[in-house]
Amino acid sequence: MLVVAAAQLLQMTGSASFGFENWRPTLYAYVLWTICLCWGQVLMHGEHGKRTLFVLPAAMFVISLTVFPLLFGLVIAFSDWNLSSTSGRQFNGLDNVRQMWADPFYWNAMLNMVWYTLAILIEYAIAFGLALALNAEIKARKFFRVAFLLPLMLSPVAVSWMIGKSMLEARFGPIARLARFLGWEDPSFFGSPMVAKITIMLMDAWTFIPFMMIMILAGLQAIPKELNEAAKVDGANGWRAFWEVTFPMMLPVSITAILIRIIFKLKLADIVIAVTSGGPGGATDTVTSFIFREYRDRSNVGYGTLLAMVYLVIIIIAMTLLMKLADRIARPRT
Amino acid sequence: MKVELYEAITRAKMSRRNMLRGTAALGAMAMMPKVMGFGAAAAQDSVRAQILAIPGVGAGSPTDADWQKVGELCLGPTKANVAEGEFAGVELTFFGINNNGLHNILFRGLLKGWETYTGAKINWIDLAQADYNPRLQQNIATGTVDFDILAMGAPLEGDTAGQGLLDEMPEWVATQIEMDDYVNYLKAPVGTWGGKTYRISIDGDCHTFAYRKDYFGEGAIGGAEVPKTWQQVNAVSKAVVGQTDPLTSLPAFGYLDPLKGWGGFGFYFLENRAAAYAKHPSDPAWLFDPDTMKPRVNNPAWVQAIQDVMDLIAANAYPADQINADPGTTGFSQFLAGTGSMLMWWGDIGSNARTSDTSVVGDVVGFGINPGSDKVYNSKTAAWEETYNESPNMAYLGWGVYVTNRVSGDEKKRKAAWSAAAHLGGKDLSLWMSAYPSGFQPYRNSHFQYEEWTAAGYDKEFVEDYLGSNLDSYNHPNAAIEPRIPGIFQYYSVAEDELAKGYAGTYKSAQETADAIAAAWEKITDQIGRDSQIALYKASLGL
Repeated sequence: MLVVAAAQLLQMTGSASFGFENWRPTLYAYVLWTICLCWGQVLMHGEHGKRTLFVLPAAMFVISLTVFPLLFGLVIAFSDWNLSSTSGRQFNGLDNVRQMWADPFYWNAMLNMVWYTLAILIEYAIAFGLALALNAEIKARKFFRVAFLLPLMLSPVAVSWMIGKSMLEARFGPIARLARFLGWEDPSFFGSPMVAKITIMLMDAWTFIPFMMIMILAGLQAIPKELNEAAKVDGANGWRAFWEVTFPMMLPVSITAILIRIIFKLKLADIVIAVTSGGPGGATDTVTSFIFREYRDRSNVGYGTLLAMVYLVIIIIAMTLLMKLADRIARPRT
Repeated sequence: MKVELYEAITRAKMSRRNMLRGTAALGAMAMMPKVMGFGAAAAQDSVRAQILAIPGVGAGSPTDADWQKVGELCLGPTKANVAEGEFAGVELTFFGINNNGLHNILFRGLLKGWETYTGAKINWIDLAQADYNPRLQQNIATGTVDFDILAMGAPLEGDTAGQGLLDEMPEWVATQIEMDDYVNYLKAPVGTWGGKTYRISIDGDCHTFAYRKDYFGEGAIGGAEVPKTWQQVNAVSKAVVGQTDPLTSLPAFGYLDPLKGWGGFGFYFLENRAAAYAKHPSDPAWLFDPDTMKPRVNNPAWVQAIQDVMDLIAANAYPADQINADPGTTGFSQFLAGTGSMLMWWGDIGSNARTSDTSVVGDVVGFGINPGSDKVYNSKTAAWEETYNESPNMAYLGWGVYVTNRVSGDEKKRKAAWSAAAHLGGKDLSLWMSAYPSGFQPYRNSHFQYEEWTAAGYDKEFVEDYLGSNLDSYNHPNAAIEPRIPGIFQYYSVAEDELAKGYAGTYKSAQETADAIAAAWEKITDQIGRDSQIALYKASLGL
């Protein structure tokens, strides 16, 4: 199977004149190899081999749907593949990397991601406040819990239209009218780069704060009430009890909520695509929305794939560092 | 005809009395050949009158039964070239879109009679508009073309005909569909590559100028005359800043430039301005130099167009948030709702003016061709010429039916495919598609015989004003024709991104913005292949 695949790869890259017309023989070789492997297991190991067969489908499945696409993606990432090009896919070495390095749109989108990610800290503070409120003995607590969760249940595209296109509409949108009533003569929520970026942050926050809130609320409810009662007996006021008892106890949950939220945030694209298309002038672009345009509007498969791969690597590195940092913060002090 | 146009005309103007009068007239016309013994021409008139009465203007939207009936009545040209049952056993696959129950959905009914008569069977690949281009591009890129007949916009001819994927149109087809009847801009080179014809047109597209009549006239805020040049348009746009709209009493605005990207389609709006400055009558090219593919988008003419927009932004001449307004919003939510007084758009804005529930401008809207300019830039001499110039923008060039080279080796199948395509692009059938909801606009000179429309019950004044602006654009000698080269929407899309940066102030000047677009276009050209792009660009311009 490897020989067939290697021959095909050599032919595709122009390194060899032999090979097949397409990748179909490689697929057939893969299926045949799988069958032979299964058969070989049974012949060599008997009953034990038959038991192994139960694992093989899953292994083959992973190879087919994870390993192969990843490798294929890597090959594409180092190709010049514009769907409109008559010459098809061409290996182009590090050209895509050089292009990325000099691409101001991409780095602008990356910088935007830093701002969007930093906004999570504010989201977290708001979510914590809301969770504390919902954890308290207030009237209609169940109603508020459900009400606060509603934005999370909405599709981001629906949020885009409901808020970005309707409520914030510059002429007739209710928020624009209110802004005009309050003295903002010409309310424009997407006209200037900074305002547009903040508006997108607010829309995204509105959708996902409930997610953080519900996680924190679950954590708050898991804290034994005796701890806070003991703190009160020892003379701690509400503020001090929060900082000395509640907040430290909530650190593991908080870190988990923030990390998951960062993962969601790094994939932010739908609201941006639907509301601003990255504008004005790239001010609201995210890496994902930028890659989407590169692929959909410009059929630039090779370059788009490289950007996605690089972004994946950056995310993996960033998340690994963040998790180590989180681990250090959350580790009980000795 | 676009659905909205049909509904507009019927809702606004048709009454039961008018309809009966029109039907009676059509009935009388249908009877005339039999009574008076007219020849073939009269018989054709009879068919045209009969199909225009199906289902009848004002009698609701046509149904599948109506489409089938129309298709049967228009089988005459097919019967002249194909014997009954000649394509028995042939199966064809038709690739197209199914937007709003139109296009492919309509074609099924229109081709039903053709299938019955010829014995061929058609299988359908229906796609949503958003899926159409990605699917087609992937088919092309991976060499997996799995269809015989293709409904496609002319801008994609570079991606298909330019790559040898289409079958050349046989001579008998050109005769059957009476290609000479096409409006000027749809004649060659549109639909041709390397001197070979591939396309049967079934649609026409262009941008026309829509304006508010209440802004213009003696004592009106926009001045006495409707602007005829972009210089005048800009002057009006600046002059009405701070004034009150005569219809809505909201702030008044002049010309509405859609400023936000639109997957490439937004670039057409800058083209409208640039065409008047950059499309010299002596030169068919205006986007690229045909010999080198060097972009002209950063020459003084294009820079002037970009500068116009930047000046209007600086003068606060646009509604708030215009920079983020979707182009669709500009047309349908702003102009139709009474914001702004001038707009360039495709056919549907005029029709919606009278039908949309949110439209308030139906009674005050007028139409014309793309404004001209007091001067025009000559790329060959690299100098401005102080002479009046106008150039309608043929944005998107309309839909056509093509046959792929999958059938080239099988003469029977090939003839069947071309026969089916010719049936859809037939002279009479196309009149019906122009007059009733189909998704297509008029594109033949014979479609503009207004008496046929009025006999069928349409309002003469509206038809002459609205369709007349289309006709004048179509047949203009200096029309700006879209280059049908591979990746054309990639060029447009990246230009939109750079323009957005320029409009947002990221670039210091119009020239810098235009230079950024030109640099990005150069990259795309190199990526797709400069030599092939040069050859295809020249072919698309008929050079």
